[in-house]
Amino acid sequence: MPSGRGVTRRQMLGIGGALGLMAATGLTSAAALARRPSITGAQLRSAVPLPPPFQVPLPVPAVLKPVGTSGGADRYEITQCEASAEILPGVTTPMWTYNGTFPGPTIESRRGRPVTVSHRNELPVPTVVHLHGGRTPAASDGYPTDLLLPEGRQEHSMHMGHGSEHGMHDPRAVVTELTRDYTFPLDQRPTLLWYHDHRMDFTAPAIWRGLAGLHIVRDDAEDALGLPAGPRELPLMIADRAFAADGSLAYPALDPTLRVRPGVREPYLAGVLGDVILVNGAPWPVHEVDAARYRLRILNASNARHYELEAVTGDGHRLDLVQIGADQGLLAAPVVHRLLPIAPAERYDVVVDFSGVPIGGLVKVVNRLGSGRTRDVMAFRVARKAADDSRVPRTLSTDLPAWRRSDAVRVRDFAFRAGRMHSGHGWLIGGLPFDPARTDVTTRLGDVEVWRLIADVHHPVHLHLVGFRVLSRSGRPPLPHDAGLKDTVSLRPGEAVEIITRFDGYRGRYLFHCHNAEHEDMGMMANLEIV
Amino acid sequence: MLAVAAPRMTPAGWTLRAVVSAHAVAIAGQPVFAGMYLTGDYAGLSLHSAGADVVTSIGYLQVIVAIVVWVRLRQAWPFLATSAVVAAETVQYFAGLDGALWLHLPLGVTTVVAVVVQFIDVWRRPLLRQGAADA
Repeated sequence: MPSGRGVTRRQMLGIGGALGLMAATGLTSAAALARRPSITGAQLRSAVPLPPPFQVPLPVPAVLKPVGTSGGADRYEITQCEASAEILPGVTTPMWTYNGTFPGPTIESRRGRPVTVSHRNELPVPTVVHLHGGRTPAASDGYPTDLLLPEGRQEHSMHMGHGSEHGMHDPRAVVTELTRDYTFPLDQRPTLLWYHDHRMDFTAPAIWRGLAGLHIVRDDAEDALGLPAGPRELPLMIADRAFAADGSLAYPALDPTLRVRPGVREPYLAGVLGDVILVNGAPWPVHEVDAARYRLRILNASNARHYELEAVTGDGHRLDLVQIGADQGLLAAPVVHRLLPIAPAERYDVVVDFSGVPIGGLVKVVNRLGSGRTRDVMAFRVARKAADDSRVPRTLSTDLPAWRRSDAVRVRDFAFRAGRMHSGHGWLIGGLPFDPARTDVTTRLGDVEVWRLIADVHHPVHLHLVGFRVLSRSGRPPLPHDAGLKDTVSLRPGEAVEIITRFDGYRGRYLFHCHNAEHEDMGMMANLEIV
Repeated sequence: MLAVAAPRMTPAGWTLRAVVSAHAVAIAGQPVFAGMYLTGDYAGLSLHSAGADVVTSIGYLQVIVAIVVWVRLRQAWPFLATSAVVAAETVQYFAGLDGALWLHLPLGVTTVVAVVVQFIDVWRRPLLRQGAADA
């Protein structure tokens, strides 16, 4: 019973069945093999026993005292040095630190009051300090080749990273030895900033080893809002790490001296994830709180790990995470989340109300993107009833810039994706790996621009100097957590984000880059010249 | 004119060929636009989503034509195949909006293959009334 020329019905059914089987196998394999939810990076496994969660108390980094406050400016001194820390109970971990602690000391500052931080480098490698989110003149912004060399290491400036290995040289680099003053005018909206190492090719391992600290900017208007304050305002620096058998921090660097050859071993090219979640440098800590509102100033200081945070009570009830601020300060009005995604380098200013939690109850902060031990982040133990006169006003700020598309004098497109650089794998912006000597974007001081960023995998994109607003995600309206003024925007796989900003503040050479620190070290940065 | 024993294509058969052909052309554009987009051409995104609307609309039109073919020609196969393709395209549409790339990429390839197979099938032989073909 032929149904056509040469092909029998039996054959048709056979071919159809085979194609159907292939399709079904392909789709089930995709479902089984693909990471759902998607995660960019590979996880290291610690070689030491890990402590149980919620045992170690949450440390709060000490606030640094200025060495001078004359002339309307504050002066600080920070020594970058090797130090040992007991991060896991009973385990000694050698680290690179700011002033001997991890996180480094917190700098508290006031809007418009300049701060000068004198950094002294006693580490075995050159360093660069960048104040993330700071509206800082280019000379103090921590350009990756503006090295601060350790004493007597002048010769190394000629042998660093790209400079020698790939025949690239940066004639504009300003190199200093032993000490360097970084001056921050801090003429900007009050918010949580953070300072960290930004050295060419070796930012990721330097942050991993401990070179990160917080910097808070405040002003009278914010103080007057009546938000939870004092002990009820907690900075939370979340970072993942992994530990080697000798207690040191494990990191898959190609060059363990972190001097010459940049990059990580092949399996970790997409990003290095740890299996220990630290908050303010403590593993899965617990913090005793009053049954009251708390202001949590959350920073994701991880190299590559993304989190989706939720606060879950003992009976499985999820507390509201009331977002009051973004990377660059207060929102116009609070935004209520149950689940808060946070990409590397992003900050969220969140108020959580523990007043409905029974005394003695435990509120776990959980990462929905984690699995196993990385699902837990930290916990709050509600210890006592307490009076609470704090509030979350319906209007938080009225000074957010209201740039419109029609204000933009130009639109630029940038693809953030994997590619080849020099002789190996790398990460590219617009098809090119970073070159300090090439200007990628030139714009005029004061110009408003729309940038359209497109990603292949997760790329948290950060612009130095300016804050921006998110206009759209993949052609649709921004998500609730995109509110406010940001300096880092999280692109998910295959996603496009449109941002709008005004390049004001200072002229000079700045950067924009992916803040997955491994991507950043492997090419994913570009120059932004403001003229 | 009733389709009797003459082995000639009816308007319904020709319409199915036309719709399946348009479907194949439209769906072939989708990976092209996706490639443009992922290499940094933002316009590729709107082309890809407009393409998705066109492909899905043609898919639903094809369902209607396949029903007509079923009624007029007593051939159920085009309808069954089209329903499977349209179901896959609907899932594909929302997987794309959701950014579920683990599903969107393999299902996209599968859907293109399915439409190409259907294209071959409708052009390989004339679509005749069931009774007529078997007679």
